Amino acid sequence: MPSLQAGYAPNLGFYLKSLKAQPVESSIENLISLLKRRQITNSRPCAVATAHLLLQVVAKFRWTNIDKLIERIQDVGRRLIEAQPREMVVGNIVRRVLGMVRDEAKEDRNDDASDSASNSQMGSPRQEHIDQGASHLGGPPPNFSPLRYSTTDDSDSTEANGDDVFGGKPQAASRPPLITSHTSYAPAGGLPPQKSMFQLLSANPSPASTPSGAQSPHNTSNLNATSLSHRITTSTKDLKAEVIEGIEEIVDELDQADDRIAAQSLEYIHSNEVILTHSSSRSVQKFLLEAAKKRKFTVIIAESYPNDHEATHKSVTRSIKTDAEGTDELTTPKFSKSLSDAGITVILMTDATIFAIMSRVNKVILATHAVIANGGLIAAAGARIIAKAARVHRTPVIVVSGVYKLSPQYPFEFESLIEYGDPGNIVRYQDGALVENLEVDNPVYDYVPPDLVDLYITNIGAHAPSYLYRIVADHYKTEDINFDKPELQ
Amino acid sequence: MSHAQKGRVAAGGKGAAKAKKAAGGKKSENDREDTLQAVILADSFETRFNPFTLERPRCLLPLANTPLIEYTLEFLAMAGVADIFIYCGAHTTAVQSYILSSKWHPSTSAASPFNTLEIVKTTARSVGDALRDLDSRDMITGDFLLVHGDLVSNLPIDEALRNHRERRVKDKNAIMTMILRAGGLGEHRTKAKGVTPVFVVDPTKNRCVHYEEMHPLQAHKYVDLDEELLKDHKDIEVRTDLIDCGIDICTPDVLALWAESFDYEVPRRHFLHGVLKDYELNGKTIHTEIVDDRYAARVFNLQSYESVSKDVLGRWTYPLVPDSNLVAGQSYKFERGSLYKENDVMLARTCKAGKKTVLGKGTSVGAGSVISNSIIGRDCQIGKNVTIKDAYIWDNVSIGDGSNVERAIIANEAVIGNSCKIQPGALISYKVGISDNTEIKPNQRITRAKRKRDDDSETEEEVPSDPSIVGPSGHGYEFRDAEEFSDDEEAAFHSSLIYNTQHLNISNASISTLSSSLSSVDEPTGPRSRLSSFTSLSDDGDNEGFHHDAVQGILDTLHEHGDFDSAKLEFMGLRLSNDATDHQIRRAIAVAFSKHISQLVDGEDQKTEASKAAASAFATSGAVQFLKNVALSTGTEEDAVDFLRCLQKDAANRSSGPLVLAAVCQRLYEEEVVGEEAFLRWWEEAEGMGEDEDVEMKRVRGKTGVFVEWLREAESESGSGSDEESEEESEDE
Repeated sequence: MPSLQAGYAPNLGFYLKSLKAQPVESSIENLISLLKRRQITNSRPCAVATAHLLLQVVAKFRWTNIDKLIERIQDVGRRLIEAQPREMVVGNIVRRVLGMVRDEAKEDRNDDASDSASNSQMGSPRQEHIDQGASHLGGPPPNFSPLRYSTTDDSDSTEANGDDVFGGKPQAASRPPLITSHTSYAPAGGLPPQKSMFQLLSANPSPASTPSGAQSPHNTSNLNATSLSHRITTSTKDLKAEVIEGIEEIVDELDQADDRIAAQSLEYIHSNEVILTHSSSRSVQKFLLEAAKKRKFTVIIAESYPNDHEATHKSVTRSIKTDAEGTDELTTPKFSKSLSDAGITVILMTDATIFAIMSRVNKVILATHAVIANGGLIAAAGARIIAKAARVHRTPVIVVSGVYKLSPQYPFEFESLIEYGDPGNIVRYQDGALVENLEVDNPVYDYVPPDLVDLYITNIGAHAPSYLYRIVADHYKTEDINFDKPELQ
Repeated sequence: MSHAQKGRVAAGGKGAAKAKKAAGGKKSENDREDTLQAVILADSFETRFNPFTLERPRCLLPLANTPLIEYTLEFLAMAGVADIFIYCGAHTTAVQSYILSSKWHPSTSAASPFNTLEIVKTTARSVGDALRDLDSRDMITGDFLLVHGDLVSNLPIDEALRNHRERRVKDKNAIMTMILRAGGLGEHRTKAKGVTPVFVVDPTKNRCVHYEEMHPLQAHKYVDLDEELLKDHKDIEVRTDLIDCGIDICTPDVLALWAESFDYEVPRRHFLHGVLKDYELNGKTIHTEIVDDRYAARVFNLQSYESVSKDVLGRWTYPLVPDSNLVAGQSYKFERGSLYKENDVMLARTCKAGKKTVLGKGTSVGAGSVISNSIIGRDCQIGKNVTIKDAYIWDNVSIGDGSNVERAIIANEAVIGNSCKIQPGALISYKVGISDNTEIKPNQRITRAKRKRDDDSETEEEVPSDPSIVGPSGHGYEFRDAEEFSDDEEAAFHSSLIYNTQHLNISNASISTLSSSLSSVDEPTGPRSRLSSFTSLSDDGDNEGFHHDAVQGILDTLHEHGDFDSAKLEFMGLRLSNDATDHQIRRAIAVAFSKHISQLVDGEDQKTEASKAAASAFATSGAVQFLKNVALSTGTEEDAVDFLRCLQKDAANRSSGPLVLAAVCQRLYEEEVVGEEAFLRWWEEAEGMGEDEDVEMKRVRGKTGVFVEWLREAESESGSGSDEESEEESEDE
């Protein structure tokens, strides 16, 4: 009730509340309009909204086979990305969920397939589904019939070419995992199993494929645990529960990312250091506050005029919940302390003095809007000046970012990722002469190239920019990277 | 809001459980409070966008390739409105089919953010009628937003709403809050040009205490403030800098007020002005919420169409900008320098698509063409070496090689030939064809719309093309406002009479000259206006109560074809109790007659000719006697002239004013109420004003000119007779 009283304008809080009651289709459309109207902005709210929406999509969608579900999620994802392509986290979350669904599906299949072959099976079923679409699959996913292979073999080998770009393996080679149990049915065209496994391994090292990390423990444990009877009774229902659980895990991750990052702060912030940061980011603020519990240091904040200065001012003096009002629903301010309350010396200055003060700064900590696979980042306007000035003074630049902001996409023109906001923040609209005669640009974000960044601190640890591709590979599946652009697949 | 809720709970609160049980109705009332309703006036009841609005409603005209109503609905969705009522007049079906196929209608689209959306067709002829209709329908249950279908805004209204509710809890009489955008004191493209709204505000209470509209051509260049206002309010701000975006937060009381006073037609000049004047009577207060952040403006005429388009391209309306792709199917992308391009645009290698330009899907631009500061819709074919500057080109237009378009609007499916020259201010409506090598003059308006014939039949006839304008193989004719009531009237008052200066209100060029003289209007509103409020007690502005009641009384009599003898008694009573002057009496009578007749002329169901309408008004029993005895009780020529002037002034505000005035003059002469001398004198005085004369006043007496000419001729022919008459009159003195 109290939040309702605050006003009628919809925001993240409203949206999350409405999710349960509304039919899925209107929830989707609703989020699309909220994104278009910029009533949900910034990475975290967008990520939270997307994850919750996908949870509903999965929960309420009636599906008999996993490909239908994947298609459905892809379709929803495509629409969301189209609504606001510059909020890259939306796409990230969709890809994460897709990857998770594929993993679950594969486990399911592994249960059905023979144990000995399952290792070599990595990726092959899902590869196939992408290419063939659901139309080929008559029954539920665990139906591995050799017949199907023989019918689709020809078409697949040509279609698969597109995937090779991303280091995917040739279709024919990955095909024959079924030898052990179904050898007798295997079509004549099948290659000897031994050979195919070698090829698989040699193809795998490509950074884009995802052999390691999250999924491997699942695989082994499941293989041991599965019994024949279990395999047979495995139904989509269990899968559904698992997928939902997986999405909930992602939601939890979003929730805890900042704390995880903050936990590492003592390793990077030392006593009596001078630290420069800008804009009002929750992640950075938590990071600094955590360090302030043990150490005394000085923080210089550039106010990041004109889009974020008010929030920045507030974050210096008042509580932390500046991040966009919608989030307070979820993050009932655990900390109400501001930086100055925490005993840190805080100096607020204009963006123009960044270069002048840089010589006194020991470390620059930047918040980010999105991180790109090449190690560059999209951050609040002004970030690039800071990074550049830091480079000149050889000051280390640390970027604080949740893994969910890390996007597998690598756009060719960074200009297209930069949002242009309301010029009214720069020039008052009342000023008729200026409005009439000037073009006023107000870019909201900046692109910072990877060579200006020294270190990324994410919720899973610290990494060099050049290592980010590896994390991308761990979190996203190759086939999902360009799912929103059919022409690239 | 929270206050409101608490207050209500506390008030009804002693036995909360009891209240819950007993008052299911009460609970539903609370529920209703939780949703927000909005009324969109989709019909403007104006013709400022003619000739385009002949074929399409204003709210569907594209602004930056998105229909205007989309912006309005986005604004309401942004504000979290739940229930929408769209009031349509003309072109209801077009609006209806558009809304049904859009994402907005909750029954046809899952994307609709609204709970209910109702399209109301109305026969209303003014905003006032529509709101009175709304009142009678009983659909509004609580506070609601009243907006126009041409609003473009990204304002968050939560704060205004909260303030409104707080005021309302404190004082039940705070019935309305207007949201106004500060526009700065200097010149501003989005501020209303020509007519300046003057809001007199008490900044301590955010209360609007007086409202007036001024324009540079009016003779009376002062705002008249009531002495009382200065006593009651310590601080007063007279503001001419506000952009009136027409967003009103209203309580149901507002509708009741509209219903009570059925001569109010427009929300500001009539309703706001009237309610503020009647503060003593009804005690209702109207408040203002002046914002100086974010964007809000209405597209109420063609100039504002241009300025709001520029604002949209300059991203002042962010996030309502083309690259947000608000309408499904749009795919605009933003490029530096405000070039918005949709997918599938074909640009020749040597063409230049410059800054602040929008290019819709499927449009192709030929080699060597230069486009700047323009908006071009979908599927347009633009030839080689075409120059397009500051132009607004809608969908499916084709422009031939070597043509030149500057600051014009070209509507859907128009075809411009090779080497044409379209001059600034030209408006080219739907499907018009211009043949090769034609030049369209500045401010020319060309249409192909079928014209309604004036005899009562509904048949529309094609108008033959005018080759002198669109060229030998072109299609279209020049559009004139007055043509709507031509034929029959022409028979009565010669066809040569058709002329008007109304386009002055529309054309770009003429307005730029007006705006320079605007600054002179701004100045005197300060201290001088206060002075004048003391001196002008006997002027038009005062004793509004008498005027109002008197007009009402006479109108009633005229409507019911009642007896003027009893009306006269009533009238004299009113006059005594209000201590009205002779001038006020004449004004009231003039207004009543002109209003009655113009209502007959513009009548919705059957249109009456002005002359017949006038005749019927005068035929009411005792009407002529009434006029002679009451309006012109002294019988002097001065009084008669004054009466005519009052008539003229009132008619100037009506669309059919010229006809009404001419008809009434004729009647007055025939019934021997006003003599020739008075007519001639009135006419000469008006002529004598020359340049100083108000444009509207000049326009309105245009048609009477013929009558006066005729009088003059008659006088010279049968000089003796009329002399006698005038002598008689002078003897009477």
